[in-house]
Amino acid sequence: MSRSRTGSYPAAVSLVTLAALALSACSGGTSAPGSAGGKTLVVDTSFNLKTADPGREFEPTGSIVDKALYETLLTFKGGDVTKPLPGLASSYEESPDSKVLTLHLRAGAKFSDGSAVTADDVVFSLTRVIGLKGNPSFLLDGVTVAKKDASTVTLTSEKANPALPNILPNPALGILNAKAVRAQGGTATAADAAEKYLNKSSAGSGPYTLTSFNANTQVVLAKNPKYNGAQKPTYDKIVLRNVQAPTQKLNVQRGDSQIALDLNSDQTAGIAGGLKVLSGPSSDVIFLLLNLDPGVSDATADAKFREAVRKGIDYKSLLTLGGSGSVQPGGVIPSTFVGALPPGQAPARDLAGAKAALAASKIKNPSVKLSYASDLTLDGLSFQSMAERVQAQLKEVGVKVTLAPAPTTTELDNYRNGKEQVGLWYWGPDYPDPSDYLAFLPGGLVGLRAGSKAGADPALTALGEQAATTTDAAGRQKLYEEIQTDLNDDGAFIPLMQPSRHIVAASSVTGLAYNPVWTIDVAELGAK
Amino acid sequence: MPSKGKGGRRLLARHPLARFLLRRTATAVLLAFGVTLVTFILTNLVPGDPAAAALGQRAVGDPAIVAQFRHHYGLDKPLPLQYVTYLGNLFQGDLGESQQSHQSVLTDLSTAVPATLELAGAAIVVSLVVGVAFGVVAALRRDRFTDQLLRVVSLLGVSVPTFWLALLAFYVFFYRLGIAPGSGRIAPDLTAPPHVTGLYTVDAALAGQWQVFWSAAGHLVLPALVLTAYTVGLLTRFTRSAVLEVLGQDYVRAARAKGLPGRTVLFQYVLRAALVPVITVAGLAFGALLSGTVLVESIFAWPGLGAYAYRSATTLDLPAVMGVGLVVGIVYLTVNLAVDVLYGVIDPRVRVQ
Repeated sequence: MSRSRTGSYPAAVSLVTLAALALSACSGGTSAPGSAGGKTLVVDTSFNLKTADPGREFEPTGSIVDKALYETLLTFKGGDVTKPLPGLASSYEESPDSKVLTLHLRAGAKFSDGSAVTADDVVFSLTRVIGLKGNPSFLLDGVTVAKKDASTVTLTSEKANPALPNILPNPALGILNAKAVRAQGGTATAADAAEKYLNKSSAGSGPYTLTSFNANTQVVLAKNPKYNGAQKPTYDKIVLRNVQAPTQKLNVQRGDSQIALDLNSDQTAGIAGGLKVLSGPSSDVIFLLLNLDPGVSDATADAKFREAVRKGIDYKSLLTLGGSGSVQPGGVIPSTFVGALPPGQAPARDLAGAKAALAASKIKNPSVKLSYASDLTLDGLSFQSMAERVQAQLKEVGVKVTLAPAPTTTELDNYRNGKEQVGLWYWGPDYPDPSDYLAFLPGGLVGLRAGSKAGADPALTALGEQAATTTDAAGRQKLYEEIQTDLNDDGAFIPLMQPSRHIVAASSVTGLAYNPVWTIDVAELGAK
Repeated sequence: MPSKGKGGRRLLARHPLARFLLRRTATAVLLAFGVTLVTFILTNLVPGDPAAAALGQRAVGDPAIVAQFRHHYGLDKPLPLQYVTYLGNLFQGDLGESQQSHQSVLTDLSTAVPATLELAGAAIVVSLVVGVAFGVVAALRRDRFTDQLLRVVSLLGVSVPTFWLALLAFYVFFYRLGIAPGSGRIAPDLTAPPHVTGLYTVDAALAGQWQVFWSAAGHLVLPALVLTAYTVGLLTRFTRSAVLEVLGQDYVRAARAKGLPGRTVLFQYVLRAALVPVITVAGLAFGALLSGTVLVESIFAWPGLGAYAYRSATTLDLPAVMGVGLVVGIVYLTVNLAVDVLYGVIDPRVRVQ
């Protein structure tokens, strides 16, 4: 080869590059599967997924998956979580003391293998959730499940449990085919070995069956031909993909996916052209925690100091960080739940009042540490920017706030062990009932994290116990409002905001609703 | 060296290359143990409780559930015992169970590692072909326009941040122009080919699923090209200077002077000698590719090792973190070994005698 012949190397290289690009162009044609008539729906979301086993699942992505695979005894329709509706149970009665819930199973319900759903399957599935001692086990704390006859089951609670009908729609309480799961090592104890099987194939009576499952990448569902519920699913195949938010936006705009679940207000602001955006307040309540334990902080243990902070925060200014659709809740219970305090009763900024309260406190030159998870973003809202704004606002009152960011995994320890002076966290509801928020009372799960020990406020504790067992709707509402008013007065928590939550979808997708328990119900979605 | 065994073994033990390989492999195994020890200590130094990270907000409040979690993952045992147990399981090919996915780490890695290898492998092949070609051309056209152009190109390739290039490429070729496919390894309406090697292109070809093959190959192009930017730049620069150095050697001048054809001189003399430093750099570049894929994988939603490592680290999934550490360590050790062996193949002067 002569020297000049080497001149063709770049040509060869550009040929390779061109061929490569041409190749990618060929396969580019497979985009927009939803509109191609194949009835495939592609949903992009940033995965928070561990398992498809309903007895162990308690993550947002897991709930989307299990909602489609398994039917629950009761369910919710669309985004309304105030009224439980028939699921596998066609009707139910509560005993007058709210301790016994009797459920009558729908006739004709079938698992995907064709066998009928029986009371035995219900007993097995719910006992398994309790026995596994996994993340969702607490849902049925103190509940015993029994079969009354072939199509009737009873759930008996130790104490009055008026929240139970609101808990039962949780996808973690989906009903499994007991025979199939037992054959794969399923038991109602820690020795259960069925999770591997349930991550490969589903054993439910839901509108979809599991085709493939990978907790890091994607989950594929196929329509269950044996499903005989009221509403038949539209899409033959559902693909849930793990995609980061910026890429989600490009995918849904390009038609490569039909739904993007994790875009924030900034990202959805400019969206147009064949796409629709569903926005509303999320049920996550972001709050400040002020530790009541003087051993942790003298300042935050002082009621007047807490009043100064409560009056010193500019809630309206914080809402601008949450974007359009975010709201300030009246108390710790989110605005969309039964028992929520009217927005008018929420704390508001009163700078003069804050300074007066600070002067009335015994604290000189107040200085506190604000701890938060620096890597935490909730619905696109960064906790770092919230913390900075709170710091600036309290400076105007005369409180020196030192920011103490740490990775979530590290900070969770401090938070859960009650070591934070001031903490910035959020509470996502475990189930849509105000009783979930009793955790904020003295001795409760979150209360303890704020140094609020059992017995610290007997009156409040008594109110909580009364609320937990009161069954009539008006009475419950009133009690929960009272509890929140009490907490707002001088409690350890300052509710700041419910950030906005957006779902972006192709205009061809119909029937979209945001549900705080399972985000979206893919089986409810239609196509036009 | 004692030679008491049978003839074959004696020959094997005596052959210099075999001895070299045996010694190096033994060293590599020792180093792999070192890797496990270091990753084990480092992962356990991290403040934070794996149980708190893995369990839900309610479950973590129940001491019975926390105790069961700790017992299940052996976290209730003293650290040295945990390490010994880990090593013992490792010998049986058991890398432990992921605290997040509840699956064996080996199963998780068996899908994540091939995904990254397919991506990094495609990138390194393209980089070698393009980078060496660019380097040779630049050297042969020294100080002319082509050389200047290639130097600018390689400088750009080395200095542009990979994640930025990935975002830009995805935006331009997928979103704006629509000629590249979207996220993932294949189109969402296709099913992955049956698992043989874990490389989708190979598995699809083996199964004769050509639609899947083209989709997998198409999805590979953009992220692989993005990854090549840095390595092409690096290899171009190293090849250019290596070739220039060899071109100035007396034996090359002598070969030219005695009238050998240009092609023979280039391939038999120049390239052969120049490739030794280039291969060293290529080995390092492969390592860089593995770490570079973290961000590229995130932008293209590529379900590889980078994405898995990130998730494991942020959720304190210790068995998974140790699994990733071990795999990356083994890849580096293997690449180093391969580079050393290749030296001898290419250049007789450094061949083991």
